[in-house]
Amino acid sequence: MRPNIRIALTHLKAKKRQTIVAMLGVTFGIAIFIFQAGLMSGFQSTFINQTVNTTANIRLYNEAEKDRPSIAGQVDSLRNNLIAVRNQKPKEELPRIKNGLQIIESLEHHPEVVGVSPFLGSQSIFKMGIATVAGRVSGVNIEKENLLFDLAKNTRQGDIFDLQTIPNGIILGEGLADLLGAHLHDNINVISPKGVELEMKIVGIHRSGLTEADKSRAYINIRNAQKLLQVDGAYITDINIKLRDINKAEILAKEFSLKYKYTAQDWKNANANIFGIFKIQNMITYLIIASILIVSGFGIFNILMMIIYEKMQDIAILKAIGYRDRDIRVIFLTESLIIGFVGGLLGLLLGFTMQTIVGNIRMDVKGFVSMEYLKFNQSPAFYAFAFIFGLIVTAISGYIPARKASQVDPIEIIRGK
Amino acid sequence: MTMGAILETKSLNKFFRDPVEFQALKNINISVERGEFVSIIGSSGSGKSTLLYILSTLDTDYAGSLFLESDDLSKKTKNELASIRNEMIGFVFQFHYLLPEFTVLENVMLPALKLGKKHEEEIESDAMQKLELLDMKSQALKKANKLSGGQQQRAAIARALINDPKIVFGDEPTGNLDSKNSQNVLEIFKELKKNLLQTILVVTHDMNFANNTDRIIRLHDGEVVQH
Repeated sequence: MRPNIRIALTHLKAKKRQTIVAMLGVTFGIAIFIFQAGLMSGFQSTFINQTVNTTANIRLYNEAEKDRPSIAGQVDSLRNNLIAVRNQKPKEELPRIKNGLQIIESLEHHPEVVGVSPFLGSQSIFKMGIATVAGRVSGVNIEKENLLFDLAKNTRQGDIFDLQTIPNGIILGEGLADLLGAHLHDNINVISPKGVELEMKIVGIHRSGLTEADKSRAYINIRNAQKLLQVDGAYITDINIKLRDINKAEILAKEFSLKYKYTAQDWKNANANIFGIFKIQNMITYLIIASILIVSGFGIFNILMMIIYEKMQDIAILKAIGYRDRDIRVIFLTESLIIGFVGGLLGLLLGFTMQTIVGNIRMDVKGFVSMEYLKFNQSPAFYAFAFIFGLIVTAISGYIPARKASQVDPIEIIRGK
Repeated sequence: MTMGAILETKSLNKFFRDPVEFQALKNINISVERGEFVSIIGSSGSGKSTLLYILSTLDTDYAGSLFLESDDLSKKTKNELASIRNEMIGFVFQFHYLLPEFTVLENVMLPALKLGKKHEEEIESDAMQKLELLDMKSQALKKANKLSGGQQQRAAIARALINDPKIVFGDEPTGNLDSKNSQNVLEIFKELKKNLLQTILVVTHDMNFANNTDRIIRLHDGEVVQH
């Protein structure tokens, strides 16, 4: 074994207790790093999965124009006059997609598209006895909708495909059913903004995992939705599209928007606010983790400084017998890296154990999303990153004492005795 | 340059600037012959230890020239000097300065491990041989901090000899030993000179020790007054 490494190991062995304390500092730092980052990322991917599963890859709809140029402005092509038109009243229009059925047919032939589902949504009131809840009905073709959102998988009770056979069937979100106190096969009343009231039979209870959505959403046949809104049989407001590759959503949204002259929103855009929150959340998490590791870095720094003060004589003698400044630096840097390496490995193990234990405790979280068990992202990249980051912190906190040790003047020690 | 001189100084001057400027060594011109056993004596503050640190390359802050085997050491870098100390110079200090957590054997091996010219097994057998020479073989596997003062000093001498140095420097090597152990160390040095033709330069204030060396260099107020 190289003498420098041998000296480093002997120093650490001679100071067992301090060495273990310093290692534990790194161990806990890394373990918390892995636990926290895995939890955060696991939660986020669960949430994203559930959200993406309930958001269309691309949604085509008729957006109200916000910035409508006045006719006078359009006429004044030279743009050298100030024109003010107040209280411009937009034309009374329904947010319908004209030629919706033709667009659907055309989309179904697109090679990147796997599924297309027409949609007609409306605010409505759900009533059962004295219970009254405001929510949204989604008028869908259940077979096509299922192709897009895998509704059957998340059905808790009943059979969603009864929507096709039972003329006034309705599928309620789990939370909504709870609020109404309604059970499978009960009859409830649905009232539209137009004042149309339909009595409907519950054929299924559905749970998407997104708490808010489950408390307010119900699915009905698109025909019934058209009845509630008193519109014709070709009337739809949205076309939801499922793609072969969801990462092409942004590009294809642009293509569809230009082709069909309606607004096309991809799933990333639709959930932009969530991704924004995650960014901040990640930043906070990593800041906390970094500060924990910096604290363990200080622990290493302290212990090495202590060793160095006690080993001044050793350093002087090593220099006298021909060890270079660099050798002394290597000795003490090796000590800190051994602490970091062993502490880091233990940290990976502890972090993994903590994740496994906590991941097996039934939590039944009902917040933003509902899940039975906490999900951890145990990707090797996290482990590698935590380990490397830990080594960098220990290297930095070891380098400063090591440099100080290498600058010890042996004469001062030998003469000073 | 004197023929056969292993160590030589030319107009060596040393100043301390802190706290006030003070000339510690004044125009030192000395030489040590191959195989000579020389002592430097002087009252405390005469500059004898300062001179030793310069001669042994630990102190590089001086004016003038220092030659080891005709090689001008005053122009070497710190790293070159470290290699020279490792390969050509042995040290014996007043306080024994063994690394306390290592065994006696490991302490003796350390300079040779640094030099790295031999395999570890070879170094180990060399170290055992040196320890045997100093009658320390039975202590080889003990931790250095478990030895008595006299034993530690003998282990330190073995360490000084491990790379077969051109010259061994002693900085008050008997300063911390009782008279019996002091006599012992003196006898060891005399034998090293006689049997191995080892060149030895020792700073001491022990007159009995000095009188047993080949030659005495006496310093007074930073000047050589006898050599």
